[in-house]
Amino acid sequence: MADPTAPRAPFAPWDRRELPGAFTVEESARRVGNYKWIEMKTFEVLGGWVATVPELDIKLRLGTHTYHHAWHAELWHKRLPELREMNPERLTAPANDELVAFVEAVTEPEAPGLTIEKLVGVYRVLIPHKIAAYTFHLNNTSTITDAPTIRSLRFALADEFEDWRDGEMSIQSLLRTPQEVQRAAEHQARLETLMLAAGGIAGPGSIGNSYVEDTTVVDRMGGGNGATP
Amino acid sequence: MRRSLPVAELARDGRFEQASIMDRLTDPRAAVNVRKASAGTRRPALRAGQPGAPDAARSLMHGIFTGEIQALEGAGRTCWDFELGTGERQVPFALKLDMARQCWDEARHVEISVKLGEWMGTEIGEFAESTILYEAACNDDPILRLTGVNRALEGLAIDIFNTMREFGQATGDPVLEFCEDWMLADEVTHVKMGSDWLRRLTAHDPDRRDRALEFQKVVDKLFSYGGIRGDDDDSPVRLARRFRELAGFDTAEIDEIADLSRQAGRERAERVAARGRPPAVRSADVHPIGADLHSERMAR
Repeated sequence: MADPTAPRAPFAPWDRRELPGAFTVEESARRVGNYKWIEMKTFEVLGGWVATVPELDIKLRLGTHTYHHAWHAELWHKRLPELREMNPERLTAPANDELVAFVEAVTEPEAPGLTIEKLVGVYRVLIPHKIAAYTFHLNNTSTITDAPTIRSLRFALADEFEDWRDGEMSIQSLLRTPQEVQRAAEHQARLETLMLAAGGIAGPGSIGNSYVEDTTVVDRMGGGNGATP
Repeated sequence: MRRSLPVAELARDGRFEQASIMDRLTDPRAAVNVRKASAGTRRPALRAGQPGAPDAARSLMHGIFTGEIQALEGAGRTCWDFELGTGERQVPFALKLDMARQCWDEARHVEISVKLGEWMGTEIGEFAESTILYEAACNDDPILRLTGVNRALEGLAIDIFNTMREFGQATGDPVLEFCEDWMLADEVTHVKMGSDWLRRLTAHDPDRRDRALEFQKVVDKLFSYGGIRGDDDDSPVRLARRFRELAGFDTAEIDEIADLSRQAGRERAERVAARGRPPAVRSADVHPIGADLHSERMAR
């Protein structure tokens, strides 16, 4: 049996977590506030749409997904005070006015014949952008100091991937003519254009900056993510 | 999308046929048959071995199925229809989270009901749908929604699920018993949500609490089905006292529901006696909620 008093390294050989991260406490809190806002908008509209969608299987999926996004909003709500924001409502805000315009366009369809537009808005535009921003945050924040955010991001991402797959399969099951494919594509393009103006669910820099010379993206992270010049 | 969706605009596929609550209740296959009750021939419709019990159970299960759809839709609308805040037409963040949770639960209940319906040999659309549950979920005041839906209608669901669970036990149907028991657990949670929010949101507003409890009484009386849901031994749907206590009802409140049911039964019997025969009942005969729904349909 090994000597129980023999000294061991505080980090196991397989534990490669590092201290540095791209986000300050304030930047992480700002993003988390943006996440809570968008998750709230997501679960509210999914809940509202349930009564407007005639397709029974999709009605039930929307009901289930409503809870997923409400739970994410709750996770972010609880994280904010831990990031020194004692008034969580202060940071529960959209990243910018352009994101508000995007959400208004996503939540616009109501009629029972518009299930394609409803699902495209959430599952082909909004959720992929959430997955992107969450993944960027996950891969750039400190794996030691911001571990609670990472844990919540992983839970949220697991749901987002599952929900995206459900939604995408539902869309594919609804698209039965070339005209419907066109409808879906046009709605997606309209919403992507609005999201482009917003810069992502956390505003410009939601997924960092991939271009070496591009200075149009506001670098709020102090140049620590390795993607900004 | 608008805030507040009228009941006439609930989205359904082509299998669903909507009818007034009284049309539903006068369906000769129904578990809760108001014509029989009016004629003084009421017998517990869900008793093992009784002729008509399988049809009654299938009818009740289909009613549960459509009721669960509307409960899902109502909880979803409460997520959307109200802004966050402390005003009478606003709700706290935590209430929205509860309603979102209820959406998930109700979606599962629809799934369970569909599977149970198949198990019992029923197809979707075989029985008509009454949309009165959703109508109760359309109130402009969120706390009236919660008392009308979570305390009154989900309370009724407790009584019905307990009745169905016992029917499953009596008929040796372990699938029915198992599923009803699980749904019963969720319903107790939903009723407790309603009880808790009623207390919290009206702690400093006794007038609003009185209005909410009055609305609950209205819905409770309406859903006593002319006295058929009650506390008596021969009530086809018995008040599930133990589960209601778990959900935050006190004994006086449960006694009051039992009294309302007896009162509804007496009123019904008086109307029958006055007319000399079982009347051609309409939902409008029962309560203004039914009347609203009836006139809305006529307009359509």
